[in-house]
Amino acid sequence: MIWVSWRQHRSQAIACLGVLAALAIYAILLGTSMRTAFSHDGLAACLARSQVNSCQNAVGAFTGEFGSAVNIAFYSVLLIAPGLLGVIIGAPLIASELEYGTWRLAWSQTIPRTRWLAVKLALVTGGLIVLGAAMTAVITWYRAPMDRLTGHFLQNIYDYEGLVLTAYILCAFGFAVLAGLLIRRSIPAMIVAFIPWLAIRLVAEFLFRSHFLAPVTLIQNCAGLCVESGQNGGTGISAVPPATGHIGDWVLSIGGNAQGTQTVITYQPADRFWIFQSIEAGIFVALTAAALGAAIWLLHRRPA
Amino acid sequence: MVHDDADGGAPAVRADRLGRRYGRVWGLRDCTVEVPAGAIVGLIGPNGAGKTTLLEMIIGLLEPTEGEVSIFGTTSRARPAARLARVGYLAQDHPLYRDFSVADMFHLGRAMNPSWDEGLAQARMEALGIPLKRKVKTLSGGQQAQVALTMALAKRAPLLVLDEPVSSLDPVARLEFMRDLMASVAGTGLTVVIASHVVSELERLCDWLIVLTGGQVQVAGPADDLIAAHVLLTVPRATPDAELPGLPVHRTDSDRHSTVLVRIDPARPAAQQRPGWQADLAGFEQLVLAYLQRRPQIAAGYDTALTATEVTR
Repeated sequence: MIWVSWRQHRSQAIACLGVLAALAIYAILLGTSMRTAFSHDGLAACLARSQVNSCQNAVGAFTGEFGSAVNIAFYSVLLIAPGLLGVIIGAPLIASELEYGTWRLAWSQTIPRTRWLAVKLALVTGGLIVLGAAMTAVITWYRAPMDRLTGHFLQNIYDYEGLVLTAYILCAFGFAVLAGLLIRRSIPAMIVAFIPWLAIRLVAEFLFRSHFLAPVTLIQNCAGLCVESGQNGGTGISAVPPATGHIGDWVLSIGGNAQGTQTVITYQPADRFWIFQSIEAGIFVALTAAALGAAIWLLHRRPA
Repeated sequence: MVHDDADGGAPAVRADRLGRRYGRVWGLRDCTVEVPAGAIVGLIGPNGAGKTTLLEMIIGLLEPTEGEVSIFGTTSRARPAARLARVGYLAQDHPLYRDFSVADMFHLGRAMNPSWDEGLAQARMEALGIPLKRKVKTLSGGQQAQVALTMALAKRAPLLVLDEPVSSLDPVARLEFMRDLMASVAGTGLTVVIASHVVSELERLCDWLIVLTGGQVQVAGPADDLIAAHVLLTVPRATPDAELPGLPVHRTDSDRHSTVLVRIDPARPAAQQRPGWQADLAGFEQLVLAYLQRRPQIAAGYDTALTATEVTR
């Protein structure tokens, strides 16, 4: 059965390696120039002094050069890429057997169809985990200099470093396998699986993520001006240095009290990164398990 | 014919009031048939008669809505692996993975069937001149059918089920396929069920017959017994059905005469034959066609009189 699964998904595996290679080439090109600029601008020494204000110009130049490329083009592709990858591999897994009539061949062999599906799912899921981990490693490596300035807790960065990228791919895959079984056609199943995946993905990011743990509240006493000076906090790369005075904190809100004598900052500390990654990845892995479990159960009980 | 006695004499296929509903429409209903081991069964019916529905329930690809089906005594609710191991299936349009090579297909067969006979598979390909390295999609339709049949045969299951194996083939490929099939199953003791809507294909091969129309079994039994139990009568046109020596299965009226295929009623004396009547032996094809042409209302009226078990005894 392992051989059968490999033979059927061989070309997909090769295509995935191609995608990974393209990503790696892009990352090496951009990552190398980023590293060169990082040391050339003396940013490491700057950070070591921790007198962040003295480096504003250098940091500004660096983020100006690499920030837009890093943030906009790359990440808008990466927002949908895990979902596309997952549904393209997941939807045909059962649907193509139904479309081409080969289910009659596959499910009339001695190995029962539930075992057939379970082995396939185990192997393809394993492959996707390896792929997701490799993509995460590549992105994390190439972004390393930028992460030293911004941390990796910010939106768009958080999504591709750590555990969640792999979990996003798996979730789209699980949805698509189930949709393929129910709809019996690959392309419609891809679309039907992708839409809820994207919806959940965005809801998780913009509504749920900041509430995974109760934020920390910081109250600064100052005379009015501090509100302005902290205004840039939490909006991405321009958050260097962040209002909390600690790189990588995720600032949720900055407000003043009525008298203007205090600044109230709520934020998620940078060291919560892995807890948040685990929580969000756990949600998506649970959705994956539910979808794949439903697919196996439905195939077992399949009426027609 | 060598019979498979390993299964304690259980019938190869036994369907008991088997039915399958699709939404509100019955694809097959009230099907009761018992096929002995070793029979070569022709399952004949027009497209949409319920042949595939019956076959898929026999194999276990489809769950019955009502009734039960067993193969060699193993019912439809038994462990799937035990059941699947005993039946080789060639589905309609002989599905294969198009981008697999023939060798890959056999590798799949080996991986998914403990009883796989690689020697048989390779010997067949050699005899048929189909190279193992060729991709399935580059093979002709006839060759693809042969590869698919080989997949089913090499599983070494005691029951072989073929669903319209030649309907997509050209006439020469049909002939070759049927000839090869006959040679492959002769003397093996295999029980074979072949579904087709073309009667002539089955006549030489099959010794058992099931005629299915509109989701209902019209007649079933050993071909020789069925032929012996019917007579083709040519009678004056005005002759009422009641005077016939049995049940009229199908009647064709011409200007002066009627040709009636009659299922002989043993209760009525054979001496009923009258002057001016002509009695002929019904051929396999005439018999099948008569049952295929039974009008629905007639079929409904005589259904209970013509259940399969009665004919097969």
